[in-house]
Amino acid sequence: MNSPHERRKLPSTLADSALTSPGDARALNYSPVAMMPDVKVLKMGGQSVMDRGRAAVFPILDELVAAKDAHKLLVCCGGGTRARHIYAVASDLELPTGLLAALGGYVPRQNARMMQMLLAKHGGIYIMNDDFEKLPLYFNLGCIPIMTGMPPFGYWEKPSEGGRIPEHRTDAGVFLTAEALGVKRAIFIKDEAGLFDDDPKKNKAAKHIPRITARELIKADLPDMVLERIVIQYLTRARFCTELQIVNGLERGMITRALEGEDVGTLITAA
Amino acid sequence: MSKLITDDGRTHIESTLMRESLVDRRVIAKTSSEGEFAIMPDVVMVGIGGQSIFDRGKGAVRPLVEELRAIRAGKTKHKIVLSVGGGTRVRHTMSVALDLGLPLGGVAQLVGAMEECNAVFLNALLAKYGSIVMQREHFWELPLYLESGMLPIVISIPPYHFWEPPPEDNGILPVHGSDFGLFIHAEVLGARRIIFVKDEDGLYDKDPKKHVDAKLIAHTTLSDLMKNLPDELILDRSLFTTWERARHIKHVQIVNGLVPGQLTKALAGEPVGTVIVKE
Repeated sequence: MNSPHERRKLPSTLADSALTSPGDARALNYSPVAMMPDVKVLKMGGQSVMDRGRAAVFPILDELVAAKDAHKLLVCCGGGTRARHIYAVASDLELPTGLLAALGGYVPRQNARMMQMLLAKHGGIYIMNDDFEKLPLYFNLGCIPIMTGMPPFGYWEKPSEGGRIPEHRTDAGVFLTAEALGVKRAIFIKDEAGLFDDDPKKNKAAKHIPRITARELIKADLPDMVLERIVIQYLTRARFCTELQIVNGLERGMITRALEGEDVGTLITAA
Repeated sequence: MSKLITDDGRTHIESTLMRESLVDRRVIAKTSSEGEFAIMPDVVMVGIGGQSIFDRGKGAVRPLVEELRAIRAGKTKHKIVLSVGGGTRVRHTMSVALDLGLPLGGVAQLVGAMEECNAVFLNALLAKYGSIVMQREHFWELPLYLESGMLPIVISIPPYHFWEPPPEDNGILPVHGSDFGLFIHAEVLGARRIIFVKDEDGLYDKDPKKHVDAKLIAHTTLSDLMKNLPDELILDRSLFTTWERARHIKHVQIVNGLVPGQLTKALAGEPVGTVIVKE
């Protein structure tokens, strides 16, 4: 059918595509299907929650355990101060961003393992990125799967602009997890009730912002932010995960209310 | 020595990033510096096209295998790391997956397998000359392979899998493909150059397969290219946008693998095909 030097093709709509550009949804008549839209994707903050230890973590565990039979909870963990220490050491040694991402990934995995040990008696299981396809099994068994929030980019993380810290860290990973599962809202458990017009840790008069769009946030161009910047960019392109909710896990009942769909904390929306 | 600080309810390890928001631009700037340590600067990555070379079969692949044998038998010892694209099966996978409405991350999760098959094919042909398929999790075995004179073949699709970021402009295909993946692998190693072996003489201002008047760009700089990046590209668009912020890669060359000797010349530093440099 072909001369020895011709490209041999399997016929398909993309057979002649170079695949060097992102393609066009209309041309390919793309209509995406959500994989597990009813999962609740939660992020446990690293510095904001885990590094506070028992005083902060135990009350949160109570809320998660109380909710676990009503909701499919997927808990993703952040890094925190040890990740910061790794980034500082790596920056001092002038090592590339990919190495920071690979090593920074160890800390959220530790935190996920800590959470698993605490939640084991309630069905907490530690899962790796490679176990993602087994989520339906874990939920059917009534488990609480716990994993790293870090996306698996590791050494393949892009160089960062303006510094060495990887752009995709655990906030990005949690958003991308929700997007892959087809979940509309990802919930970030932090130690503040979301977004303020200034750092509430440094300025007690900072005003709380209950709701804001990604576009408004990008336009505001704040020097600091409540979530990783790249997540806000991605939010505008999302097909499923169009809402990011940030709640104060130190305030009793906030996680429970967020799981019930209440707009507590701050809601960042795609539009 | 490191000190633990617990004055605000959180336990911190003293470091320049302690207590800081890693989202704060001023904090990020503290991690910047002029230089960056190059981990394996002498590595040359060589990416062999899937659709462009491998899908042509024996007629195209065997001469390249022979050329690689001769290169390795030659006097100059290059530290070559090979990869090969997935070609037409990747396109078929994506086409079926998109028709089924699988999410972007799901599509990205699937395609690496098709590339891995080509890596195994290539390894079968090159094994007697010392090749080895390098699994991703064996990242730090690369020096072992190279120092023992082996020819590692890496999986170039990056491990973004289900976590592939959504593309711009309502796009639906994963943008972090094989060319990008090989580039980013080279960059983290601190390599200076990459050679892509395709079925064209290099990069053109438009697709030479569709336009007879397409013009070859024999030599250009990244900054000139980015001012007028062609719509139809022979390499992943994300490779070029990422290269703008990369620190190590200085030289990307595209040669015609259907012309015997082009890869040998490129490895010897000759400006065959298209040479793109970053100044």
